[in-house]
Amino acid sequence: MKAFISACIVAIIVAGVGLFVLQSLQVPADVAFSTSSVRLGS
Amino acid sequence: MAKLIAQLRLVAGAMALAIIVAVAAPQVSSAQQPVNPTANAVQEQQLLKSLKTIDGRGTIPDKKSYVLEQPGRDWRHFHQVTLHWIGGIAILGVLALLVIFYLTRGMIRIESGRSGRTVVRFTAVERFVHWLTATCFIILALSGLNITFGRALLLPLIGPGAFTTWSEFAKYAHNYLSFPFTIGVVAIFLMWIAGNIPNRVDVEWLKRGGGMVGHDHPPAYRFNAGQKMIYWIVVIGGTAVAVTGYLLMFPFYGGLGVGDMQIAQVVHGVVAVLFVAAMLGHIYIGTIGMEGAFEAMGEGTVDVNWAKEHHRLWLEDEMGRVGPNESQSQPQARPMATPAE
Repeated sequence: MKAFISACIVAIIVAGVGLFVLQSLQVPADVAFSTSSVRLGS
Repeated sequence: MAKLIAQLRLVAGAMALAIIVAVAAPQVSSAQQPVNPTANAVQEQQLLKSLKTIDGRGTIPDKKSYVLEQPGRDWRHFHQVTLHWIGGIAILGVLALLVIFYLTRGMIRIESGRSGRTVVRFTAVERFVHWLTATCFIILALSGLNITFGRALLLPLIGPGAFTTWSEFAKYAHNYLSFPFTIGVVAIFLMWIAGNIPNRVDVEWLKRGGGMVGHDHPPAYRFNAGQKMIYWIVVIGGTAVAVTGYLLMFPFYGGLGVGDMQIAQVVHGVVAVLFVAAMLGHIYIGTIGMEGAFEAMGEGTVDVNWAKEHHRLWLEDEMGRVGPNESQSQPQARPMATPAE
């Protein structure tokens, strides 16, 4: 049971780290796949 | 004289008009024949069939946005039709086989009963890595199946609002839990590679059906041939979905084009649904399919008689090395009603 609980906690922590890493690397689709002359969204 | 010339001019004009009418008459009659009103229009499907590709010219700087191409239609058909069939047949097929197997064979019991003595099967680190990978896999599988089947199966049940919210969170979980899952797959590969190299014992185990039918107990080391298959499915399948998943998570990086992204999605989808189907078998045999099997990953120990029946060669090695763990008592076997009994 300890192994299972600790595995869940570590999974959440690693996923959280991944969240911050991805936020720093990825850009929104409307920016990534358009030029400066394109206006998307509101 | 002038009057005569005017009359001649009138006659010449009338003749010219008659000639023109005579020449034009056949064309007029043919134009009045009944015609197919769409015969001259471009039929999209006929055009796509007659041409492998439709070349055009775009003015948008981002050429990746040119999706009006035949491979895009092929991919869409795979994504919306073919993958549904592959996944449905694989997953429902395995589920049906497991139900039939359970109804006919029932839970595989420890034939000689519990000895009350246990032996350590998996260490805490091994169990941690297993559950890290397993819990991530279950969430990845459910969120991935939602992408493929959710709109057809779940949306009508819970409505668009709830389905949108669920799908958004599911996609976030799918992205971010891929990291601990990948770590788990790599750790599993390194941790258990030594015990999962195929050998002659596996051939014998497979010839005897792994003891699944009847009361046979073919010998096995720490991992039998069935477990080795699961191991390599996890390692190879896990690597495939991880690599293709990261290609989809970081689209068009490294000069990849639309076609490459489509291949990545096809591989990701097919491997994933087959992966899920295989893991259903693993989950079955590790829980309700075999008495005493879950304890190996639940508590880390197994009954000596269980090990003797299913992993005799491994138990002999362990007993020669450390002996049974007699300090831990095992609960006595409780009779469980199964449909086959």
